[in-house]
Amino acid sequence: MKKLLLTLFVVFCFVFVSFAVETLLEEPVIVTSAGQSPGALQFTVVAKMVNLDYKFDKLYKVEDVDMSQFKTFVIVVGASGKGLGAAGIDLEVEINRVLALANKAKENGLKIVICNLEGASRRGESSDRIVTTLAPFASVYFVKSDANEDGFFTTLSEKAGVPMATFEMTVGLKDVLAQYFGK
Amino acid sequence: MKMKAIVVAFLILATATLGSFFRPDVRPGYGVTGIGWLSDYFTPLKGTNMDTPIYFMDSGNEGPTFLLMGGTHGREISGTTAALVFIENVVVTKGRVIVMPFSNISGVSIPDETGKAPHFIQVETKSGPRFLVYGDRRTDPVDQGIPDPVVFMHAQSGFTLEDGTEARNLNRQYPGVADGNPTQQLAYAIIEMIKAEKVDFNLDMHESGTPDEYIDERGNTRSGSSLAYTLVCHPDALEIGAVAIMEIEAFYGISMKLEESNLSYRGLSHLEIRNATGSLSFLSETPNPGQDSWRKVYDVINDPDYPLKHRVGLQLQIIQSLFNAYEMLMGETVLVTGLPSYDETMENGLFIYLN
Repeated sequence: MKKLLLTLFVVFCFVFVSFAVETLLEEPVIVTSAGQSPGALQFTVVAKMVNLDYKFDKLYKVEDVDMSQFKTFVIVVGASGKGLGAAGIDLEVEINRVLALANKAKENGLKIVICNLEGASRRGESSDRIVTTLAPFASVYFVKSDANEDGFFTTLSEKAGVPMATFEMTVGLKDVLAQYFGK
Repeated sequence: MKMKAIVVAFLILATATLGSFFRPDVRPGYGVTGIGWLSDYFTPLKGTNMDTPIYFMDSGNEGPTFLLMGGTHGREISGTTAALVFIENVVVTKGRVIVMPFSNISGVSIPDETGKAPHFIQVETKSGPRFLVYGDRRTDPVDQGIPDPVVFMHAQSGFTLEDGTEARNLNRQYPGVADGNPTQQLAYAIIEMIKAEKVDFNLDMHESGTPDEYIDERGNTRSGSSLAYTLVCHPDALEIGAVAIMEIEAFYGISMKLEESNLSYRGLSHLEIRNATGSLSFLSETPNPGQDSWRKVYDVINDPDYPLKHRVGLQLQIIQSLFNAYEMLMGETVLVTGLPSYDETMENGLFIYLN
């Protein structure tokens, strides 16, 4: 088991990561889901690997969060019927919840990360709608490569003039976080 | 001639009345330390086609107890076959594993309702020819003994599904009903067993259609199954599932989708087992070409893209990766030897692991 974990960490070091432009992000970080897929929780699993100082709730409401306490807002995008059902909300409510948070984050000067961590499995009408709705807020995109095979995220990042970091495997996000947060 | 006709008529009548008796071909390895029956935990199942054998693999060393379930749906053969590989090859060295390879044996006892796959599929194993059983998704109507309702209703919640045949789907009945219909009783018995054996975590192995796109009758391109390559987790087990699928992707190059139980869709194992017993629950889905409704012909063993060895290898790897992730997040786990990895299954072939 220990050997397996050690090897896993070695694999992280060889994961391919590409950076269009490097933007240094700061801690502490606030993380939420946009679409209620488990990607946001996966983000926190990887965040622990680099000891990122973060707070996470997949259902943060704007009235419950003091954005001034944070420097970076990470929105992990992925629409999941099961997840939305589990939360007892629909897509419209979810988009409005995250939009309110993004507006508050912008007011407080936070950098905003839009992250696709689950790749092509979280591309589709609902997930894409969430991304395009949030795109005006993006300071940077973190994207699993197979979600960008059609250039969807490249187009958004180039149009807004913001950088995008891609990674081949979910665990490759570790290197992206290390780079962007200077860990 | 007349006598012959009477005998044939009698046999048909007897079959229709009694259902299809079925006892599985399981050839335990050295790791099996005991064999029991589900009816040991709920006696009304005894002597019926709902009773099913349970295999105990106890290391004798303190540690968690893990339950491995195959055959909830009889046609989802990567689950039943992975359970057989586990029983026939693995030795548990810490903790305990309980394997129920044919959870709904009544469904396994009848052929798949689509009629496109043979009920018994011959394969060549270490001991020579052997048959894998390709059953049906639901309990044999004869064993159920009552007509399907027009609309299925989950007993505890009132949650409904328009397809009344789901009353015979084991994975809609949890936590089951002690004095309910046979499929509800089966779910109840499984819950009783999990409680009695203090199962810490469990995996219910399933298959779905493939993710392949296809052209429908109107010429439109349609997406394949969104369930393929999915690990569904109870919300309390999601972090363990996340770590497990990251390991599978990093080491074996297979990207799986993580899903969380939908709390409003009731009766499914990954939601209800945890809620009823405390056991952390997972459900895996591998892609079975036999479950693509659009395929006119298929080979559920040797499909070039989704061969059985790929699907069973993945199920076996999910088991090992769940063990690893459980240790990472819970501090201890089940340790085993003899469990083939995904790569070993692909390299050596599947049937070398069947006795």
